[in-house]
Amino acid sequence: MLELHWGMPVILYLFLAGLGAGALTVSGSVLLRGGGGWFAGQHFRIARHGALIAPLPLIVGTGLLILELGTFQAGVEQVDIAKLFRWINLFKIVNLSPMNIGSWVLGLCILFSLAYAWTFLAPTACAQDDRCRVRRAMAWIGIPLGVAVAVYTGILLGAMPARPFWNSQILGMLFLFSALSTGVAGILCLHAFLRHEENDRPGEQAGYILAVSDALLIALELLIIILFIMFAHLTIGDPAHAIAVILPGGELVWWFWIGVVLFGMVVPALVELRHTLPKLLHHRPYRVLRSVEIAIGLLVLAGGFLLRYVIVVAGQITGPVGM
Amino acid sequence: MQENEKKLLRRELLNRIGLGAATAAVAVTLPAGAGAAVARDPVHYAMVIDTRRCIGCQACSVACKAEFAVPLGATRSWVEYVEKGTFPHVSRQFLPRLCNHCRNPQCVNVCPTGATFKRAEDGIVVVDPEVCIGCKYCIQACPYDARFIHPDTGAADKCDFCLHRVGRGLVPACVNTCQGRARIFGDMNDPASAVAQLIATQPVTVLRQGMGTRPSVFYIAADHSDPRETRVPSQYVRVDTHRRIQERR
Repeated sequence: MLELHWGMPVILYLFLAGLGAGALTVSGSVLLRGGGGWFAGQHFRIARHGALIAPLPLIVGTGLLILELGTFQAGVEQVDIAKLFRWINLFKIVNLSPMNIGSWVLGLCILFSLAYAWTFLAPTACAQDDRCRVRRAMAWIGIPLGVAVAVYTGILLGAMPARPFWNSQILGMLFLFSALSTGVAGILCLHAFLRHEENDRPGEQAGYILAVSDALLIALELLIIILFIMFAHLTIGDPAHAIAVILPGGELVWWFWIGVVLFGMVVPALVELRHTLPKLLHHRPYRVLRSVEIAIGLLVLAGGFLLRYVIVVAGQITGPVGM
Repeated sequence: MQENEKKLLRRELLNRIGLGAATAAVAVTLPAGAGAAVARDPVHYAMVIDTRRCIGCQACSVACKAEFAVPLGATRSWVEYVEKGTFPHVSRQFLPRLCNHCRNPQCVNVCPTGATFKRAEDGIVVVDPEVCIGCKYCIQACPYDARFIHPDTGAADKCDFCLHRVGRGLVPACVNTCQGRARIFGDMNDPASAVAQLIATQPVTVLRQGMGTRPSVFYIAADHSDPRETRVPSQYVRVDTHRRIQERR
């Protein structure tokens, strides 16, 4: 068995950073789409939930990342303050390492998400309050920052020919759509948890908008997964050998196909379609139980975590073929 | 030891004289610009490993451990045993391994702090443990699995061609101790050096050429067999890495 240099802290970081970045991007997009206009109420609520969710996973995930650093671990063992804070070296230089670029982007994103959440913090916050101009201006910056954090994690893993499973040009896109999907799922969970009625008020479409968006994002994610596998499996050499780990006979086949694809994507997408299609096709009222909404959200979140788990582990238990 | 050092210094002096003479000769026969280019070529240390002369004794691994007090479970230099075939058609080859000090090092490209860098003056890839944060990105990126986290510093560590010895005109500890003189070390930009001549005259290969790293460690008659890539279906191939992680990456 090969050694896993990057373990659970990194897996959790990739998941949490994706969730936070996704929530920030979705919040900004929804706010700009209609948070101050005709759909102000429901769009604003989605944007608010997204903005309030975003900072926490970003901060916790980054904290976990520091726990994985060799110098931090040595610093804890030796009670050495200098080693505990050695990670500051990341910000003493700017270079083209994906991790360096990512650290700067992540640092900016955390600070920005906190400021953005602050604009929504007041209980009386609404679409036309005195912070609305700042909020909208910040949404324009939050969207690219969120996308950058989500994409860079894929580029970080994908930049190494020595790790053929990760060395795919499409990994960044897979992480982006997974981040957006988990971001929507996080907002959906919070929305369902906070709503008082069994169903939304008449005319309220927040749950519907979230469910439709999530189903679409999952569909795109599945398409990218198919491309990710095809690019590797339909070739020869290192990528084909590496991708075998998630194909029949591979060590992670069940985790990937049952955990990530079936329960993390297909089942929640089908449930979402079951509830949204009547409204989409026949304009019937959108009705869904709060428990179903929460279950969908949790399944998508679990799928997003398992996707990171499978990819991080698969990349480390496979390598180039031949010497 | 001192005698050895003197011999090495003498050899280095002779090499330099030789290089000077060669440069002068080239300058006479080539246009001025070309002659100047030869003179300016910086030192680029390289190693040639003649596996025909390796007896798999692990003296290099032990010398390296002793030289750097490499912690248990980690290796800067190691020797793999490659066994293959079915009796009576069998073979056992030895493959000494170390950091390849690549001309295009992936570890340097991914290092987020600049702690890992390739020295312009001699081509040696080094790690500054005071700058390294121990993120393990370089460990993931190295196709040769040459790096590890040193438990004392928490930083990445690996072979540095015994920089402290080379700087004093000595050869690396593994080269110094090699019983069969299988490891040959020197400046590959110096046409008079043994490594430059071996690279020029022998059919040398590098490990994992497809990675595009352009290693500075060359092998003569290396067996590149890998259990995951048997050339004959069902052929027995086994690699003993002699490391904590038993499997090649």
